[in-house]
Amino acid sequence: MSYIHVSDLSKTYIVRKKKSGSLLARERTEVKALRNMSFEAERGELIGYIGPNGAGKSTTIKILSGILTPDGGEVSVGGVCPWKDRKRHVGRIGVVFGQRTQLWWDVPVRDSYDLLREIYHVSRADYDAQLRRLTEVLDLEPLMNTPLRMLSLGQRMRAELAGSLLHRPELLFLDEPTIGLDAVSKLMIRDFLKRENRENGTTVMLTTHDMEDISALCSRVMVIGKGQKLYDGGLNELLSAYDTVHIMTVRYADPLVQPVLPEGCEAEADGETLKITYRPDRVPTPVLLTALQEAGTIRDLTAQPQNIDRLVADMYKEMGM
Amino acid sequence: MNTIRFCMHSIRMLMKSRLQYPLSFTVQTLAQLVMEAGEMLAVLLVIDRFGSLKEWSGGELLIFFGVMSITFYLTEIFGRGITGGIDSMIRQGGMDILLIRPRSVITQMVCRDVDPRRIGCIAVGLTALITGTAQIGLVWTAGRILLLLEAIFFGMMLVLGLFLIEATCSIFSVRSLEMVNTLTYGGRSACQYPIDVFPKPIRLLFSVIAPFSLTLHVPVSFIVGKPLFGWPQWTAFVCPLSGAVILAVMTVVFNIGIRHYRSTGS
Repeated sequence: MSYIHVSDLSKTYIVRKKKSGSLLARERTEVKALRNMSFEAERGELIGYIGPNGAGKSTTIKILSGILTPDGGEVSVGGVCPWKDRKRHVGRIGVVFGQRTQLWWDVPVRDSYDLLREIYHVSRADYDAQLRRLTEVLDLEPLMNTPLRMLSLGQRMRAELAGSLLHRPELLFLDEPTIGLDAVSKLMIRDFLKRENRENGTTVMLTTHDMEDISALCSRVMVIGKGQKLYDGGLNELLSAYDTVHIMTVRYADPLVQPVLPEGCEAEADGETLKITYRPDRVPTPVLLTALQEAGTIRDLTAQPQNIDRLVADMYKEMGM
Repeated sequence: MNTIRFCMHSIRMLMKSRLQYPLSFTVQTLAQLVMEAGEMLAVLLVIDRFGSLKEWSGGELLIFFGVMSITFYLTEIFGRGITGGIDSMIRQGGMDILLIRPRSVITQMVCRDVDPRRIGCIAVGLTALITGTAQIGLVWTAGRILLLLEAIFFGMMLVLGLFLIEATCSIFSVRSLEMVNTLTYGGRSACQYPIDVFPKPIRLLFSVIAPFSLTLHVPVSFIVGKPLFGWPQWTAFVCPLSGAVILAVMTVVFNIGIRHYRSTGS
């Protein structure tokens, strides 16, 4: 059996909402966060897990890390079921939440680590060696004696990463680890994760909304939407299969210019700029460019592929959801 | 053993951080002291006005008050993490963090926070205990001291158990905390007085559901040499164990509740 084995996983939340216009009556709705999710993963994989908000990413991570009990389905991580044997399971994994801290807020970082050593039963020698390595790689020395609440978000995320790796977990879950970080911190964290995966064979599974995280790190991408797996495979295959829509924005010297666009393009005016959505496989980019140039003098022009959320939205459409 | 070491480590670490601002700590401790002294004043006023309450003398009332304060606030010093703000902790997703660690959730909740400021309240409790002792001329024999320690120890278990009710309710985000507070804080305030001064429904509440009468009133009655509400003398040593029973039952209920924990969105 694979290292991570997930089959037919499902989780339903019951949401009670107040009925409008009534004082006491409440509506009971079921939200299916996961529907028959299945996948396998091997040791040492670095998996990116993407999908829009509310798709079920966090629910999956929380079930796999022993926080939530699912309604149905099977999970085994290295032969252990997370919710049935929680303590044994979580002793071997690390979890990082981008929006939540697991260190102690008012306590210097070093003291938090000391307590984590106690919690995870790490021997003094192992701990010292690991902490020395992490301090060096993540440049933690200047933060060690500062209470967590006084660190910047970037510093805090580095401290969190080290905290989740003190017990040398074989599997690391990260839930939006780069959220809100500046470019330098993002790069540092990506490099670190890549190195951790390569040098120590740590299996990594991360959720993100940042496509750069995925393209820099992950050999494998899983896309989830409305609780179901929509795609599982390489990033390039995903891009070539779905990222067919491009956006071009153009600004003319004379704002009154109205270019005549080839058939199949959609234009949308936004102030002085014109936003054109098209599919390069139907309208070749050079044809569009020629049409734009013929209309007048171009002051500014940018072209970019669709962002991740658009891509997933297109995948929904294609899958009839 | 390992769990105790973990608890001691947490307490040491958190105490250190709490005492980082000595001035604020001193002021808040004094504030707590004044607040609790107000509670003690209420007892003193009752004594001053009536001389006694039913067949309980002033000194005895002070001893009841003292033991209750010491028990309750000792629990709050070391179990602040479970007694304070557990509902908002759960609502903000703090439970996720406890669940991803290879330790029991309840142990971690207890070790989450400490509140050394309560030492002010305990000082008041001790004062009441000493004053009461002097007033009735009580001699602290080894047996009495042992029973007092037993009463405090199991009383703390009872308080922890009651706070676990609140924690369990919070898992299901039931906003009925006020009702739970009737048991905990209400229990503390009411059971500062001997149980037999209350009407029957309240006696039942604090004997069966939140048995302060068993962990506190029975042993203290024994200590001050009063009849144990008509029970044989040996019950004084057995009754406090009910605190452990409540804690055990609530631990089981809480652990079942945790299986239904829903976490929060991110």
